[in-house]
Amino acid sequence: MSEQPTVTLTIDGKALSAHKGTTVYQAATRAGIEIPIFCYHDRMPPLGACRMCLVKVEKQPKLQTSCTLEAADGMVVYTDTPEVKAGQEAILEFLLINHPLDCPICDKGGECPLQDQTYKFGPGRSRFVEAKRDFAKPVSLGPALVLDRERCILCWRCVRFGEIIAGDDALKGFERGFSSEINTPFTLPVQSKFIGNTIAICPVGALTAKSYRFISRPWDNRPVQSTCTLCGVGCAVEFDVRGERITRTRAREHPAVNDIWLCDLGFFGHAFVDHTDRLRRPLMRREGGFVETTWDEALSQIASRLGRTSGPRVAMLGGARLTNEDAYVATRFFRAVVGTPHLDHRVDARPQSPDLAVSWGMGTAIADLALADCVVLIGCDITETYPVLWLRMKQATERGATIIAVTPKALEIQRFVRWQFLHRSGQGGAVMLALADAVRGTAPREAPQGIDRTALAAAAKALGSASRPVVMIGRTALDAPDGWQMLAASGEMCRKTGTELNVMRGKGNAFGATAAGLLPDVAPGGRALADAASELRQAWGSLTTEAGMTAPEILDAAVAGGLDVLFVIGADLANDVPDRERWRAARARLPFLVVQDAFLTETAQMADVVLPALVAAEKDGTVTSIEGRVQRVRAAVSGPGDARGDWAILAALAARLGKTIAYSGWEEIFNEMRGLIPGLGIDERLPVRHPPLGKPSEPERPASAAGGFPLILIPGEALFDRGVLTSRSPTIADLAGEPWAMLHPDDAGTIDAADGEPVVITSARGSVAVRARISPVVLPGHVFLPRGYDAAPVNTLIDVNEPVTFVQVRALAPAAPS
Amino acid sequence: MPESFLLKYISEPDQADLETYLSRGGYAGLRRALSIAPEAVIDEVDKSGLRGRGGAGFPTGRKWRFIPKDPAITRYLVVNADEGEPGTFKDRTLMEGDPHQLIEGIIISSYAIGARHAFIYLRREFSTARDALTGAIAQARSAGYLGRNILRSGYDLEIVLATGAGAYMAGEETALLESLEGRRAMPRLKPPFYPAVKGLYMQPTAVNNVETLCHVTWIFAKGYQWYKAQGTPILISVSGHVARPGVYEVPLATTIRKVIELAGGVRGGRKFKACFPGGSSSAILPEAYLDTPMDYDALPKVDVPGTMLGSAALIVMDETACMVEIIGRTVEFYRDESCGKCTPCREGTVWLGQVFHRMLHGQGRTEDLDLLSGIAKGMTGTCFCPLGESVPPSLNASLRFFRHEYEHHIRTGRCDVREKYAA
Ligand SMILES: Cc1cc2nc3c(=O)[nH]c(=O)nc-3n(C[C@H](O)[C@H](O)[C@H](O)COP(=O)(O)O)c2cc1C
Ligand code: SF4
Ligand code: SF4
Ligand code: SF4
Ligand code: FES
Repeated sequence: MSEQPTVTLTIDGKALSAHKGTTVYQAATRAGIEIPIFCYHDRMPPLGACRMCLVKVEKQPKLQTSCTLEAADGMVVYTDTPEVKAGQEAILEFLLINHPLDCPICDKGGECPLQDQTYKFGPGRSRFVEAKRDFAKPVSLGPALVLDRERCILCWRCVRFGEIIAGDDALKGFERGFSSEINTPFTLPVQSKFIGNTIAICPVGALTAKSYRFISRPWDNRPVQSTCTLCGVGCAVEFDVRGERITRTRAREHPAVNDIWLCDLGFFGHAFVDHTDRLRRPLMRREGGFVETTWDEALSQIASRLGRTSGPRVAMLGGARLTNEDAYVATRFFRAVVGTPHLDHRVDARPQSPDLAVSWGMGTAIADLALADCVVLIGCDITETYPVLWLRMKQATERGATIIAVTPKALEIQRFVRWQFLHRSGQGGAVMLALADAVRGTAPREAPQGIDRTALAAAAKALGSASRPVVMIGRTALDAPDGWQMLAASGEMCRKTGTELNVMRGKGNAFGATAAGLLPDVAPGGRALADAASELRQAWGSLTTEAGMTAPEILDAAVAGGLDVLFVIGADLANDVPDRERWRAARARLPFLVVQDAFLTETAQMADVVLPALVAAEKDGTVTSIEGRVQRVRAAVSGPGDARGDWAILAALAARLGKTIAYSGWEEIFNEMRGLIPGLGIDERLPVRHPPLGKPSEPERPASAAGGFPLILIPGEALFDRGVLTSRSPTIADLAGEPWAMLHPDDAGTIDAADGEPVVITSARGSVAVRARISPVVLPGHVFLPRGYDAAPVNTLIDVNEPVTFVQVRALAPAAPS
Repeated sequence: MPESFLLKYISEPDQADLETYLSRGGYAGLRRALSIAPEAVIDEVDKSGLRGRGGAGFPTGRKWRFIPKDPAITRYLVVNADEGEPGTFKDRTLMEGDPHQLIEGIIISSYAIGARHAFIYLRREFSTARDALTGAIAQARSAGYLGRNILRSGYDLEIVLATGAGAYMAGEETALLESLEGRRAMPRLKPPFYPAVKGLYMQPTAVNNVETLCHVTWIFAKGYQWYKAQGTPILISVSGHVARPGVYEVPLATTIRKVIELAGGVRGGRKFKACFPGGSSSAILPEAYLDTPMDYDALPKVDVPGTMLGSAALIVMDETACMVEIIGRTVEFYRDESCGKCTPCREGTVWLGQVFHRMLHGQGRTEDLDLLSGIAKGMTGTCFCPLGESVPPSLNASLRFFRHEYEHHIRTGRCDVREKYAA
């Protein structure tokens, strides 16, 4: 790389050199010279609005705003002349004349830039004798955010965050001049997945979190550095803890992961940790109900049941919510202590789908997304599944990157998508084949109906000429009726463009569960079982190195009466499995079910023994993100009642079974793992095993509608939902609202459904009641239903033996005739 | 009375009609411009010495030269027809009375910079002008002066007429572009957003005032030598306490006194007290400055900071005007029109407004005089754009020349001027 040109300037008598393009503010800050700022934020281009950062530049008649002024050769700058001081005092005085200075009752007090700057640079007293501006306060801007307009200094940071960083335009300025106010478009509740960040960057207490109002003071909080595990991105967080309670979650800077941002699930989604519903003691089934019991008794009962069966008649499901160390000890426990190979964390995988044939995870580095010049999203609803990754893609679009999407439901970010191919269910494969052909340079075979061939060719051209393309395939594609075809065509396309296929699949610590060996057919570190056998034996003693059953096969085996004991660890099978009926049938034939969880989930309610477990925020250890990055989690609080960490539970159970699993703590486990998992290290990335990719085949014909069920169900993801954890994080439950489904206006018209009104969706299998959302983001003939709402579980409608689920939608209260 | 060109046909009832416009020599200048290279068109505008009439007085040819020549780059012309400066009404007069004169200027100027789209950003309240322009654009289009292959020159141009969103600020060129793009009218940071480099939709853009473009029409109709020989005409909007308020076309550098005479002198034989020579954004001048020439260089040179030609709107006040009230009203205008982007303008104008309100309601305090100049000082050189910077000059000038009026208000709680001239 050629050397960046530099300039030399003088600030307060210090000679400095700075890269060309650096502002005077940046150059000064780097030299340790403090210049006060309000509107400038280093993740956004300068705005020059607050005028606080004034400096004197020799030969310039007026004071200059240092945040907007590019450093130039020979420039002589002063930051503390009387003229500069007077200018800064004037600005502060202006800012304060209408500021309430209600610091004692302001959440920002103690960490407020305005407070700090006033002490350092303020005039000391005000000449203002008029009446201060008075607003009715505060304004609620949706479930998460509160605005105190009196405190707002109109720095525009929050508005620009929505324009520049998130691309959601959630907050805007209204009215003019002195009457200017921040609000949402049409004063609707905030429409954003990232609004928590505006609270973080607001330089005053104007934007505050509903969940943190009057809860704590900065100096009463104890910060604990950890990692968010609520999706696979693995954002660096800091839990602020007061006593035994997490008062709030904030972003920690991690340049390679989340930079300085979080999504709102990360900000507000950890409230479940201290929910009163947390399990505090082990439970045992007695006479149809549960009774609380001791660990001693619960473990003895499980041990005695295990003693009456053989290893292969025991299976384990779950793991994405565990730490790496938990997952590893679980692998050891089941393979070496129980002696079963039937373990799998992929509980939500569809049988026979490519889900089980690919390795989940991203080979592309998260940080490199911002450098991509073309991003292809194949059945991958990025903002709903890995939200913070979108912020990187948004940066890429700012640099001119092209986004291409192949999806059955228009993406929320569609205005940034250059080519969006909105396809019918079962036609995604055909779109991908046509796109792959076009990239290959062969004439694209016939594009499916409704897909523009010219657009396909143009998209292929953009992809073909990209020098840093990124391709992602998501669950919507892998689970589609033509998922194999989508996968094969995607793989083909990647081969042609010389890029890798990122499999955007797996929640929480799914990657860590994979790495730790919570899979039926591979050993920790992704190695072949046979290859790792001797090392594992050395570490664990005797164990089974056979290949076991996958998650769907485990359920089949249970249905067939082939299992005696099933362990479910950190998973809610009733809601997680793709087909609820199948789970019910399995449970009915299962003699003994053990559930290890933090809450009495639907699955736990059917268990024989329930063991209360700690959650990530209560544990020390490591987790692994979608890009394979291993990061620390730290116990912020100690957990409720007698709840225990998962690996400790399994170690205790091993002791009951006469085997020893003894570790002094997570570090010892981690060290042992390092010997077995190549590349394992804190903040290092584990590689993704590359999946074998099939050849594209001819498009399959979509199944045709069965009598009475005219619409096709598209199950999908929503970032905010109401599952076991999210329904117990009040802000998230509010953001999610009641269960909903998305219908095309044509279909809504046919059944007289009105937006927001209740409808019932029925399939041959079952029905759910939801509120209708009506929008052309889905094509006519389709219903989009998000997973994750326990009150309207998608899996009650689905029969996994059918590639397509047909449904009927009925309005409960038909819309009034117009 | 000097001969007028821009205003020549303005009161003729059928001037807006294409046939009439053509019969009076219209679109001949366009034919000539299209027959020479765009570069040569710019040269001629350069040589004419034309400076922008929107307020800043920037040489028009020089502005166009900043626009890149590369034909692969989309360029735009944006016509600033937002005319919001208090006391300014020349652009409206031109658009209502002679819309083709503007259209012709737009086509020539767009050709010069290689724009294929021109946008007229028209102040929303100007419905007569809107009708006139809509009609003229349609006529020009069907006669082949707009659209594809204009007059078989191979040059294409479309004109889009957009109406504004009711803010003075939207007349500032970068705020105008924001508004045209559908956002709140707040000014952009220069650099990097010089319109000629990153303008409308981030493409190189020339923003020109209505009157400026009408001058271009005449430069091409008659040639730049002829144009210069006329003494460089300029339109002055004369308002306030004169006998015949209106738009006057005079050679540049005519003195203030002469312009007031043209407008019939101070009304009713009253005594002249003060004037804004270039709209309310220019500092007020008392009688001693009446012989200052109204041009770009002479006005800023007088010893009253912030005096300028601006939009050439001469607002005349006679002895019946209370200067405290006038400046208080001016402050209110800027308070209401401040876009709210930057601190000193947003907060300072409100504070000033509160102090004036108190003073005018009999609650002035002696220390308020220092307070007013203190607030003005805090706003001077600290605002983001010229709007906020426009407030201190007149305020300071009034404190210098009419301090006794403030003192009287503070001392007595009453207005001596008003009391004297009531009845
Ligand atoms: C607050 C403010 C308001 C303005 N309003 C107008 C206006 O209404 N019309 C106009 O032509 N120029 C206005 N201007 C000047 C424009 O920014 C710009 O200089 C002008 O349109 C350039 O055209 P010209 O070079 O032909 O004069 C305004 C400037 C400021 C700072
Ligand atoms: S709410 Fe906060 S971030 Fe937004 S403009 Fe006001 S002070 Fe700035
Ligand atoms: S993107 Fe994922 S990891 Fe990051 S804060 Fe949101 S939920 Fe947590
Ligand atoms: S000076 Fe500041 S607040 Fe006033 S109009 Fe200009 S940018 Fe807006
Ligand atoms: S920080 Fe420089 S103007 Fe706001």
